[in-house]
Amino acid sequence: MQISDRQIDDFKTDRKDITPPLPVVLRLVPILFYCSIAVAIILSSIFFIQFRLAIKKRDDHRAQAAALAAQTQQSKNERAALEAQIKKATDIQSWVSGSRPIQPLLVEITRSMDPKSSILDLRLDRGIDDPTQIQMGLKIGADSNKQLDLTLSRISSMNFRAFSPSQTLGRGILDFKATLVRKLPQNNTSAGETEGTVQ
Amino acid sequence: MNSIDLKSILNFSAFRPEPDDPSASWRRRFPNERTIFFGIGRARLSWRGISRSGKPTETESVKAEPREALTQTADHLKSLADRGWCAVSLNTRYVISLETNLSRRTGSEELLKTNPRAILGGKYERAKRYAVTHNPETNSSILLTFDEDQTRKAEAMFSESGFRVGRICCGTYLLLRHALAETNNTKGSEQPFSSFYIICCEGAVCALVQDQDRWMELRSRTDVYEDEIGPISDLLAPFHSRLAPEIGITLVCDEPLPDLAERLGTAFPGRQVNDLSQPGLLATLMVKN
Repeated sequence: MQISDRQIDDFKTDRKDITPPLPVVLRLVPILFYCSIAVAIILSSIFFIQFRLAIKKRDDHRAQAAALAAQTQQSKNERAALEAQIKKATDIQSWVSGSRPIQPLLVEITRSMDPKSSILDLRLDRGIDDPTQIQMGLKIGADSNKQLDLTLSRISSMNFRAFSPSQTLGRGILDFKATLVRKLPQNNTSAGETEGTVQ
Repeated sequence: MNSIDLKSILNFSAFRPEPDDPSASWRRRFPNERTIFFGIGRARLSWRGISRSGKPTETESVKAEPREALTQTADHLKSLADRGWCAVSLNTRYVISLETNLSRRTGSEELLKTNPRAILGGKYERAKRYAVTHNPETNSSILLTFDEDQTRKAEAMFSESGFRVGRICCGTYLLLRHALAETNNTKGSEQPFSSFYIICCEGAVCALVQDQDRWMELRSRTDVYEDEIGPISDLLAPFHSRLAPEIGITLVCDEPLPDLAERLGTAFPGRQVNDLSQPGLLATLMVKN
């Protein structure tokens, strides 16, 4: 004979609305719910950390970009300064190159000065339309035309001829203006040669 | 579905039986929760706390009318239970009898709770609750008749003291079934078993004679003893002459009673006494099932 004692007879007054427990398989619902919350928290944490890192990276990049922009601007400024200096140097070079043909003329004019005379002002402007013509303006501190004649003879010796000369003498200053034209070697005497006039 | 339902799903309580669901075991109903077990006699209230692991603690008792004793000790006792749930063993105002030819149709045990008249016929009494244990080898059955009014009073008494009753049972009947299950554990009738079962619980005594698997005689009395166990021997003495010579004694008490086994050995000379009593046995059975 076998008798089981697994069941206990309960005499408690049963409640009418007792509901049976839900099936075990439905435990997946709250488990998945908690898992989703945990995953959401983990992902949110990761996203938050990544967000912070991204903000830091962005700020770093911005700072780097600002630094690079400042560096670029500084380079541009330096380049502009360099270009300005290059332009100046080029101008000087051009001026030096351009003035080379008349440098012997200047030297000769300067050497022609008597010890008692002095050059107060000397201008040599090459013509824009015809660079072979040179507008010369010379102020000499002298009391007579002797120094001017000497200077003109030295200019002539440099194969330059003065056209349309004009000179003014007053108070020890001789102001002479003329257009210098280089003489061609085979044509030493030009038809247009004129004497200067004293005003 | 309201917020309470959602909360019960999220804290997994919806997947456990409700605390007062009688179809579920105590452990399934109260996992990891402290509860309390009460034993009620005529003038005695005893209790044991049930730990979160389901182990009963040391027993305590008060000799007083149970309602008064419960009122006086309620504050202390409520601290032993997390949510106030308790199991109660009522050991007064019940009758255990031996019946024959009770219906054993499928579902008859459930029907005995809902419509006992259909099972018991002329033996049915109003305002009673019943439980039955059938002898699988014969047509005899052990019928427990419990006073419904007593049950309701006990429920009201515990409710008034702030407890929630999760189970009410008859300790004596439960121990009798335990004794029968412990000794009758072989299927079929090839090895018939004979024993004289003696059950003692909260002052109540039940004696059953089983001879070759047949239940011959049953006697049950409540409020037989308090401190002295002499009345137990007196109640059982008449069985001495009616027991077959080879029948041994199976003794089960809710708490081990000192000297009872020796006294039974003296009262029933030449019979082996198999004492199945253990401290906290009834509470353990209540929690286990």
